[in-house]
Amino acid sequence: MREDKEFYVGYFDEMGPNTKRNIKGFIVLVVLIVVFCAMVFGLSQRPFANSTFEFGSDTEITGIYHEMPYPMLRVEVAENEYKNIVLLGFGKSSINPFLKKIRRKGTRLTGKILTIKGNLIYYNGKTLIQLTDEENVSIKNQLFVSELPIKDEMGRVSFMGEIVDPKCYFGVMKPGYGKIHRSCAVRCISGGIPPVLATKDNEGNDRYVLLTDSSGNPINEAILNYIGKPAKVTGHLERMEDWDFLRLNTGDIEVLDQESGIYVQ
Amino acid sequence: MGLDYQFVLWNRNKKRYDIIIVFGMLFYLFLFTGLTLIFKSQTTMETLLIRAFGTLALLMLHIILAIGPLCRLNTAFLPLLYNRRHLGVSMFLAALVHGGFSLFQFHALGNTNPIYSLFTSNMDYGSLTNFPFQVMGFFALLILFAMAATSHDFYLKNLSPKIWKGLHLMVYIAYVFILFHVFLGAFQQETSVLTVSFMGLGFLSLVTLHIITGIREAGKEKQEYEINVDQWLKVCHVSDIKTNRAKICTIDNGPVAIYKYDGKISAIHNTCKHQGGPLGEGKVIDGCITCPWHGYQYLPHNGQSPPPFTDKVQTYQLKLEKGIIYLNPRALQEGTYVEPIQIEK
Repeated sequence: MREDKEFYVGYFDEMGPNTKRNIKGFIVLVVLIVVFCAMVFGLSQRPFANSTFEFGSDTEITGIYHEMPYPMLRVEVAENEYKNIVLLGFGKSSINPFLKKIRRKGTRLTGKILTIKGNLIYYNGKTLIQLTDEENVSIKNQLFVSELPIKDEMGRVSFMGEIVDPKCYFGVMKPGYGKIHRSCAVRCISGGIPPVLATKDNEGNDRYVLLTDSSGNPINEAILNYIGKPAKVTGHLERMEDWDFLRLNTGDIEVLDQESGIYVQ
Repeated sequence: MGLDYQFVLWNRNKKRYDIIIVFGMLFYLFLFTGLTLIFKSQTTMETLLIRAFGTLALLMLHIILAIGPLCRLNTAFLPLLYNRRHLGVSMFLAALVHGGFSLFQFHALGNTNPIYSLFTSNMDYGSLTNFPFQVMGFFALLILFAMAATSHDFYLKNLSPKIWKGLHLMVYIAYVFILFHVFLGAFQQETSVLTVSFMGLGFLSLVTLHIITGIREAGKEKQEYEINVDQWLKVCHVSDIKTNRAKICTIDNGPVAIYKYDGKISAIHNTCKHQGGPLGEGKVIDGCITCPWHGYQYLPHNGQSPPPFTDKVQTYQLKLEKGIIYLNPRALQEGTYVEPIQIEK
């Protein structure tokens, strides 16, 4: 039997013509797979929300500070029209560590006019602001207690939706909901960021409800097991200008075995 | 082959291989980010990076896992095997970018250690759909790290080829972790039929390739030989072996490569000391049996690597009667000289 010539040895420079042809063919095949793969993975992603996080860009907002129970600034956006902006700390933390430092100086905050410089987060009519340094807070000493918002009782209701952390959901992360994001939402809410139920009303419009415990106090650790899962949440609804609140017992949260309606955006 | 350990023993083919890897990776990243920025422009930079590098690592892992069986089925793919470890390390780096960014994005800047958070932020370990999929990705990354960190002949020699091979076969465990990571994570939310089908197709292709290869390899091992009065095995006619090539016969001691070269025949153990390559699928080049996987060489008459190299394999005695080759199945010590049998004209 005669000797066949072609045998590839990596450390020899030369490569037989058949080997060369085969490798070229394989590379072409891989290029096609790469193109196809990039198209499949790139184009099949769910649409991302049109939310905004103005990271690296500071905005100053001025309003009356209140905690009912979550820290917010009541800002007059038009004559007799108010928006309550949720105040957040840096990273996966509430604003409370910064406020604690301010309060240590003996400063009362509720009812006072605060000017906060931070990064805005906004989506679907809701606005939040991230504070990165307590030095970026200036306080006017005058009290405006009479201008604090009032909550109206709306009765006992049930919503189907998903409990999210508003910082990520309204702009910092995309997606800021669902299983992929659940761990992050748990960290954020565990860090004091208020939980929000993202749901839809009967007309299919997005609706957001801040969650508190049954006494209206902040709820964080107790709700961690329910975050990022489709759920039916029942409680007492309260309306405070542009925000709704739901006072609930965690026993009244039912995790649902279905796809969350908030995925369809 | 190299006598001293160097970080990389560069040669022209390795440089070409690495250039193709780098350009291939950049091409994928460019396409993925370009398409996402054009058609899904509301994405964030963090999500873009996590997804681009995650899907890149996934694609590369499938290619890496296909190379082994492809080479067993067709030797034309052997150049892909030669520098596969660089492809593996590159895949690990892509996976590390994906894992590192994800760990920072989802677990850092919080009220606990990010690694602790990874294991405890989602405690639904008893649920399939809610299972903490990031943990699976973390374990896969640890395996890939162990493999990438030992992807050098220094570790191959010092850990021993058996342990090294065992460590690197853990890529299959990493692959299973990654499948669970993707199916219990991203695919619970990114439910495109096309993406899930594409991933399933990749898995099925790999399984099919491995099964076909396994059946073929198992068939090779089921050989029975006629035994003569001296208990020697009747292997084949000398004309069945091409010049400078070998016939592999499998006996109780494992596969043996019987080489025909320079008008002679010699037999050595078939398994290369480097990474267990099949020496019988190699070729005699410059008087040395050359392994098809990485070019390690052995002298046919004594199974020793040519000086100054020191690797040795077992040798076997042969007989030639009326053109028929007989093999003594008793292996001689590694590196034992056996007089080559002259082929009668």
